[in-house]
Amino acid sequence: MKHLVFALKKELKNNFLDYLILITFGVFFLILTNLFKGERFMEFILLLTFVGFYILWGTYHHLTKNSFRLKIVVEYILIGFLVLFLLKIILII
Amino acid sequence: MKKLKNFFYHLFIPNEKNNYKAKSLQTDFLFIYLFIAILLNFTFKKINLVNVLGFATDITINKLYQLTNLEREKRGLPDLSYSEKLSQAAYQKAQDMFTKNYWAHYAPDGKTPWDFILSSGYTYEYAGENLAKNFLFSDGVVSAWMNSPTHRDNILKKEYTDVGFAIVNGVLNGEETTLVVQMFGKPLYKNIAKEEKPPEIIKTKNEVNTPNLNSEKTYVNNQKPAVLSKNTKNIFSDISKFIFSINFVFLSFLLVALFFDFYFAEKFNLLRIEGKNLAHFIFIFFVLLSLLIISKGAII
Repeated sequence: MKHLVFALKKELKNNFLDYLILITFGVFFLILTNLFKGERFMEFILLLTFVGFYILWGTYHHLTKNSFRLKIVVEYILIGFLVLFLLKIILII
Repeated sequence: MKKLKNFFYHLFIPNEKNNYKAKSLQTDFLFIYLFIAILLNFTFKKINLVNVLGFATDITINKLYQLTNLEREKRGLPDLSYSEKLSQAAYQKAQDMFTKNYWAHYAPDGKTPWDFILSSGYTYEYAGENLAKNFLFSDGVVSAWMNSPTHRDNILKKEYTDVGFAIVNGVLNGEETTLVVQMFGKPLYKNIAKEEKPPEIIKTKNEVNTPNLNSEKTYVNNQKPAVLSKNTKNIFSDISKFIFSINFVFLSFLLVALFFDFYFAEKFNLLRIEGKNLAHFIFIFFVLLSLLIISKGAII
């Protein structure tokens, strides 16, 4: 478990600003979702925005770290769209 | 047993056989997940679940009635009697909100909740109203009301003797909405609004949980709603729970897979070209939390 904590610390330390942006956006996403609780359309728009932001964040993050590959972008897109379609079943529009 | 062990090992732990990345997180598997999610979307639309449930809700009048009285019982208060007149008023109120497109206790034309109660033939000494929309589960509605001081006061007001409910699906502000209206009352004269037994409500296709206004046949002899709620359980409420569970279980599965993959990749010092597991983990974690928020609707 020690090496996991060490790896997490290292990852967060090396990419502090990137993760700070991601977590801040996530917190705002939760606050706004809570604010528009019960407004299905707004909830869907917020989810769509968060997914879009996540894909852009991933692309930007790997571009700046010189580890950008098409395969990586596809992975972010797949995870983003997977989440979007899963929750869309509940937020039926 | 060994095969099962190997299967999970292959699925979650990066090793030589899965090209040093948990199989459950590889691109081909992500494509399969996405395909299944799209298929589920398509299937639920195809079977017209939207029209049956509005938003796949699991809310029933019996469950609301049961939970409301449970909260009162916990505090030593007498149970509320189910009033068909109050349910009729609640239904009219919900219909009025859809027709005039508002979400409030008072209509834009100045109509009050008390107007609906009086027009249903219930002459009250005390009356109250709780509203909720777009909740997924009955217990979520009652627990949200109990967490709000004003709604809680309504549920626990000792003066009230009767309660009525309506759960109606419709379009509000351009979007499919499930409205829940709960109306409380104490009749001015006991002989005007006599006690009524809860009706048996069985949801069928394209039918909403509205009070049954005209049929004595729908009355059942069972006084206890616990028995009634058993009767009202149907396949669609099961589907709505199923949808919620799919989302919850699947997102949790992804979190576990990401955690294991990250843990073992670090343990074995693997260098890989891929997206960041930690980033995926954070993203899915926030989405999972939002799912819990989404399951709760709004109350006024």
